[in-house]
Amino acid sequence: MASAGSGDEKAAAAAMITLISSDNEKFEVTEATATLSQTIRHMIEDGCTDGGVPLPNVTSKILARVIEYCKKHATAAAGEEGSSSSFSDAAFLEVDRAFLEELEEFDDAFLEVDRATLFDLILAANYLDIKGLLNLTCQKVADSVKGKTPEQIREMYNIVNDLTPEEEAEIRRETQWAFE
Amino acid sequence: MDSPPPARRDPAMDPPAAAALMDELVEEVLIRVPPDDPASLVRAALVCKRWCRHIAGASFRRRFRELHPRPPMLGYLYRRRDGTDFVPTSSFRPPHAVREGWRVLDARHGRVLVLDAAELYETMEMALIVWDPVTDDQQSLPIPQLQPFAWNAALLCATVGCDHLDCRGGPFLVIAVTTTGGTEFGGGPRHHNGCDGIVRRVHGALVGNAIYFNYEMSTKILEYDLGRQELSTINLPSAFHGWQIVLMEADDGVLGFATVQDSKLCLWAREAGVDRNVGWAQRRVIELDKLLPVPDYNRSASLDAYTIASAPFVVAVADGIDVIFLWTDDGLFSIHLKSSRVEKKKIGEFISDLGVVPYMSFCTPALGRLDR
Repeated sequence: MASAGSGDEKAAAAAMITLISSDNEKFEVTEATATLSQTIRHMIEDGCTDGGVPLPNVTSKILARVIEYCKKHATAAAGEEGSSSSFSDAAFLEVDRAFLEELEEFDDAFLEVDRATLFDLILAANYLDIKGLLNLTCQKVADSVKGKTPEQIREMYNIVNDLTPEEEAEIRRETQWAFE
Repeated sequence: MDSPPPARRDPAMDPPAAAALMDELVEEVLIRVPPDDPASLVRAALVCKRWCRHIAGASFRRRFRELHPRPPMLGYLYRRRDGTDFVPTSSFRPPHAVREGWRVLDARHGRVLVLDAAELYETMEMALIVWDPVTDDQQSLPIPQLQPFAWNAALLCATVGCDHLDCRGGPFLVIAVTTTGGTEFGGGPRHHNGCDGIVRRVHGALVGNAIYFNYEMSTKILEYDLGRQELSTINLPSAFHGWQIVLMEADDGVLGFATVQDSKLCLWAREAGVDRNVGWAQRRVIELDKLLPVPDYNRSASLDAYTIASAPFVVAVADGIDVIFLWTDDGLFSIHLKSSRVEKKKIGEFISDLGVVPYMSFCTPALGRLDR
């Protein structure tokens, strides 16, 4: 902290946070990466991150993926938040088109996972309160519903139909257009 | 939080866990179904009781509208010779899409305004109908005699301060303007006098707190201020006539219009000029030659002289979603301004009273008594 001037990078590098997965694996990340999670941001603000942040709901496999996402998006967030962020370097403020395109490609590749992993990522994004990741993963599931019949959706997500035949008939009657 | 689910260690597919997730975060997922795909939302409601309750619930509707701030275009109303058809541009299908004897005038805030032409021919009484294509509710409004060709009307939600995201069942207002003045229905008819000219029968534009209409052969447009309940006129940029343009709301919320000049789609907007005079500025020019197919002149030969002389021309603008409808020698096209995507519309022949009115609305299914 003593070094003045272009010390932003040093300060950021110095502020490392340790995240501990449910299976006790430790991950060292920068504060900028970690604070994409509102949950962790609040813990840092409250000064409860000494000795690491235990995340009993997130496995090491999923946490590694979540950190991968946060690292990539931390620079974009720094650009959006501007001067309020510890990253005030002008280079980060210039989030140009090429970078956004690259980010989109990263997101598409990031979502190439099996359904169980996708669901674990949703749970983790919700628990850690990472808006971008929650949006990305939930959108992927929402898109999977497109054009499917109720039977196909139930099969995909292993959901038991507990609607009575009468209830089902009533909805179908009211919304016949959606089944034609 | 009571008994959070234990972290799952097994990375293999775990369907019961998947179902558990869907219980917890199903609303988070379902609000992200695209608003122009209401059919998928309806089918999702039939998956199980929980999904159904979520989708039919008030909280879901509110969150859905917060996430998607602009209502999608569900379709457009196409005025043909003997009636009006609802032509879907989404997965929504109205209970009754083909309406014989109806002549569409306007659509806004989830409802459609039509002239009941069948009633006019049978009884010589003029009646307007306000129709909700989603619920199929309709309400007939008898109106004072208007000169047959010299009037137009607009429909809007009447609730002051409404965000118009979910007001289809609320009070509405119908504004009718004629060559000799304007009439407002809803809180008792009121008359406003003092405008001459033939009002053109394309749908009007709501911008800020005023409704705007075109004249057929004039360099002015008509402004009806909803707050002051006053009519006034505004000059178009020189060299433009009302019959060439379709009024619209420009992207920054000011009055604008779309027109075609020399195979170019031109978008104009009103801008504050010197001395607080409001002038017009051309904001965007789009070369149609590059977007539209080369016209088939064999087919064009069968069209009447008017169409050949003036096509392509703008027939409608879907405010807020940047979609413009154009009539060309090859029929009706829509152009999405953001993506430059062009779609040919499958509709019938050109008629001199051609009318296209985009219908923008949310359609989250109302599931009767199951939403409790």
